[in-house]
Amino acid sequence: MSDFVEQCRREWKRLGVPDPVAEEMAADLATDLGEAAAEGMSAEALLGSSVFDPRSFAASWAAERGVIPVPPTRGRARRRPLVLVGFTVLAAITLVVAAALLVTGEPRLTVVASRTTHARVLPPPAGPPVPTGPSQTVLHTSASAPVEWILLIIALVALGFAAWLWSNWSSDSRPPSAGAAA
Amino acid sequence: MAAAGPQRRTELLRGVLDLCLLAVMAEGPAYGYEMTKRLRDRGLAIVGEGSIYPLLGRLERDGLVETYRAASDGGPPRKYYRPSSAGRLALALGVSEWRAARDAVDAVLAPVKTEVAS
Repeated sequence: MSDFVEQCRREWKRLGVPDPVAEEMAADLATDLGEAAAEGMSAEALLGSSVFDPRSFAASWAAERGVIPVPPTRGRARRRPLVLVGFTVLAAITLVVAAALLVTGEPRLTVVASRTTHARVLPPPAGPPVPTGPSQTVLHTSASAPVEWILLIIALVALGFAAWLWSNWSSDSRPPSAGAAA
Repeated sequence: MAAAGPQRRTELLRGVLDLCLLAVMAEGPAYGYEMTKRLRDRGLAIVGEGSIYPLLGRLERDGLVETYRAASDGGPPRKYYRPSSAGRLALALGVSEWRAARDAVDAVLAPVKTEVAS
């Protein structure tokens, strides 16, 4: 049965159970199994069918004790990628649009703060035409920031965030589901 | 389709094993294997996935048990469990719920003849 305890110990280490807690659980388990064997009780009588699946047993014990996060339910595990997929696709589309705008240069989008002044339009005086200035003056005060670049930066940041979320999700879903012991 | 015998027994035990553990440790502090023996002495064997260790972990996390380490009959130090005040309250409430559920199920199942034709 020391092999069973060793497999549990390895699983706890893999799951990130703090060493003192893992040592305590392993010692308790080993002592109980030893006493049971000395009294003629099988490991299965002590552990039930968990004796055939030490990894699930170890994960379940650690999760129930609260020393590792409880594995997400199947429903949550399904919903999360859908949200992630949507977010990632949106970020990718934004990136493509921004890149296309940058490459083609059309349309030229700028964020413009404009101020327009209109000169009074007077009817031309009678007699020979007299040269005058423009009848209408439009002033653009342009403090422009190219939208393409803003979109590109937003898309890149969003894609980076999406990559981080994906890596977190895959590591969360990696451990085997904890057996529903007891 | 109805669950087979061992599977049904596992499912029935799953809902009350925490109460059973609190009950046997209320008789006196006990470590894991000792609790298994007390349960077996009353005819309640661990079946299916019903290991007590994850359940003891949950009781500890929920503050329903207190633990301490002590040597057992000259042997290595063991982790002893006993109900906390919250655990004793949970046991009393749980036993009431169990009895009510048992009586209701008995009322439904009592008329059923249990002889099985061979």
